[in-house]
Amino acid sequence: MVLLLKLAWRNLWRNRRRTLLVVMAMGMMMSFLVMYDGMLFGFESAVYGNAIKLSGGNIQIRAVGYEDSISPNPMLPLGNGLDAVQAAESQPGVEAALRHASTGGLISNRTGAFSVSIFGIEPEKEAPLNPIFQEEFLLDGRLLKGDDEDVVFIGKGLADAMEVGVGDRVSMSGKSTNDEMRKRAMTVIGIYDINLASFERQGLYISLNEAQLLYDLGDEITEVILYTEITGKEAPIVEALNASITGYEITTWKTAIPELSSTVDMKNAVMTGFSAVLLGIAGIGIFNILLMAIYERTKEIGLLGAIGLKPRQITLLFLFEGIMIGLVGAVVGTIMGYLITSLLGIIGIDYGFAVDMVDYMALMGSHIYPVFDFDLTLQRAGMVAIISALAALYPAMEASRREPADALHHV
Amino acid sequence: MNYILKMSLRNLARNKRRSALSAIAIAIGTALLLFMSATIRGEMRGALDLTINLRTGHLQIHSEDYKFENMSLKRVDMIEGPLEISDQIEDIPQVKAASPRLNISGIVAYKNETIGVQILGIDPPSATNATYKEGMVTGEYFSADDREGVLIGLPLAESLDLKPGDAIDLIINTSEGDTDEQRFTVRGIYTTDTPGYDKATIFMPLEKAQTISRTDNYASMIYILLHDMDDTDRVKEAIHAPGYIVEDWVELNKLLVIVEQLSNAMMFFFNLMVLGVTSTVIMNTLLMAVYERTREMGILGALGMKARQVKALFLTEATFLAIGGVLIGLIIGVPLVLYYAQVGFFLGDMGVSANSSFQFGNTIYPYPTFGDAISVSIAALMITILSGYYPASQAAKLEPVDALHSNN
Repeated sequence: MVLLLKLAWRNLWRNRRRTLLVVMAMGMMMSFLVMYDGMLFGFESAVYGNAIKLSGGNIQIRAVGYEDSISPNPMLPLGNGLDAVQAAESQPGVEAALRHASTGGLISNRTGAFSVSIFGIEPEKEAPLNPIFQEEFLLDGRLLKGDDEDVVFIGKGLADAMEVGVGDRVSMSGKSTNDEMRKRAMTVIGIYDINLASFERQGLYISLNEAQLLYDLGDEITEVILYTEITGKEAPIVEALNASITGYEITTWKTAIPELSSTVDMKNAVMTGFSAVLLGIAGIGIFNILLMAIYERTKEIGLLGAIGLKPRQITLLFLFEGIMIGLVGAVVGTIMGYLITSLLGIIGIDYGFAVDMVDYMALMGSHIYPVFDFDLTLQRAGMVAIISALAALYPAMEASRREPADALHHV
Repeated sequence: MNYILKMSLRNLARNKRRSALSAIAIAIGTALLLFMSATIRGEMRGALDLTINLRTGHLQIHSEDYKFENMSLKRVDMIEGPLEISDQIEDIPQVKAASPRLNISGIVAYKNETIGVQILGIDPPSATNATYKEGMVTGEYFSADDREGVLIGLPLAESLDLKPGDAIDLIINTSEGDTDEQRFTVRGIYTTDTPGYDKATIFMPLEKAQTISRTDNYASMIYILLHDMDDTDRVKEAIHAPGYIVEDWVELNKLLVIVEQLSNAMMFFFNLMVLGVTSTVIMNTLLMAVYERTREMGILGALGMKARQVKALFLTEATFLAIGGVLIGLIIGVPLVLYYAQVGFFLGDMGVSANSSFQFGNTIYPYPTFGDAISVSIAALMITILSGYYPASQAAKLEPVDALHSNN
């Protein structure tokens, strides 16, 4: 047995060119597969990442009972949330944890009344991350500051609907902790424009301090919003958070925006189906090459038979070779795939040439950054190794059954 | 030249299994490319169809300054005497239906909850409302002279625990700049399978909507559906509506059109991956064949075959493989795509985001186009032949004497 293993390993390196060829083929195919998977996640982040940031972040930490509430914006304080922020920010893959004091309410002036969500935010921390607070989308006025009082930051959609501009007064009422509506006259301090009027009309921003004061929150907040580095890989973070902090309801955008999540799931289902077919093509290729590599050695098989190796031993020898070459190929493929995907993940793929989307910069990035997925790659590597073992088994069995004399005469 | 063709064909036939496997790899690759492009195209088209039928229509007529988002109720932003205009438009043969719509922003108040909604005044009998009418879950669709009834969406009904016959209060913006509150009865509950839309849209008969919002004989827009979306430009030109502008679905769904472009860009990269795998298969198989047949090359060289001809021989083999593979791929792929284009494939409950203009249905109907089939076939052919180039030049490089001495 050990002898066969040794022989198999030596055979592998006896004909270096052939082995390298097979390994390179496997490596290249695996890199393509890994890149394909990587682009799938990258695409998700590019297309939906910002939309998710805009509509409530990747992960939300809220007080228990939030999900069961009928109201779209229940007022449920969860303490000052600093422990949650700390726990979240110590997790790998979390870009930031942002504290919000938000509630539901109405904003009105003589043009009409509009139902909105009121977000109390910490501008210093949130501004660099939330797409809304980027200078390039600031239409007029200025961004919020932490110590702002009686001012709101609104979107162009809402400003247009209410026919207000910077400096105009509006009346804002929101639900406080004891379910009372608190009304307050506010001044529009800034207007952003991300070209999504219906989104812009649904929410407005005030400073966290002011929200806490207006809605009787003291130093409490209502939610901690997490942005993660990669969209679509929130599950492990949620798990870790559930283990480290208690007394909160932790949800992801998949619960908050089920329709978007199902769209993404659909895309993934389709593309994963296609990647299975792609793996099939790669499998055929590997099978083909290994078949050739072994038929080429029919003469050698005859020789092995002539010096007394039993068919079973010959089959085993070739099976070992197949597994070994498969493993080497899988390792090389994983490394190549990792290097290429990571490189593309750093520089990004610019798809600007195909799309004219200057208008929707806030919603979609201009580059796709493929993401290397270790688990998925391991699966692929396993499949490659299995295919190559199978591909080796078949011709080896066939060849080992031939009469040594015939096999030796094979040209 | 002729004998190179013959030799390459014979070479391919000599090792049938290898040729067959290579051809199958190309064939599956081609079929996959075909299927992928049709699926993505179909998905986007489905999304467009849905959003056109639900929200934007194929064409809209509205005043120059009207913006859907603002739901303005000022007279200058609206269309006067909309029914006459829509009747006129329905006379155009390519038009399936046209009817006025009135958009009002409002708030539902029920028990202690207030939820912002869009109230859509529609002309109940018009065929433009077929989607909603067919989507009635419980209760009844309303008639044109219903003065108290509204239709609400399934998710809203579920979250507020409402059923037909229940009363809700609506706070509605009026054209005078104030709000009016009135009690309505839920006549029926509809679903369009797009929760984001259903959650935030309430239907009301046009006349009642005009009365309560004090907009008299005005509407926000004329909503037009066509029999065939390819007729859009022709109908757009045929419409005479002086003082108003006509917008088509491309302008009305800018974001979706951009996402479509984005998907196409994405497809380009995914296609590259598929072509990459296919090309690796071919290149390595041919390369292996070159090394395996080193001695044979030596004999051919010794017999006087030039390097150029050896190269041509291998390239011809690759070309035959490519043509065969692509043909098989088309034979497998085309009926498959056509079949799924008819039945579609169901992917579970898909939805819409209320915040965006995306509307996705839950069944994808691949949409194959002739152009896609051609470009996919050409791409597969080119890549396969190109993959043969390196092995072919390796073969051409062999020295006859060395090659003859080779063990293989």
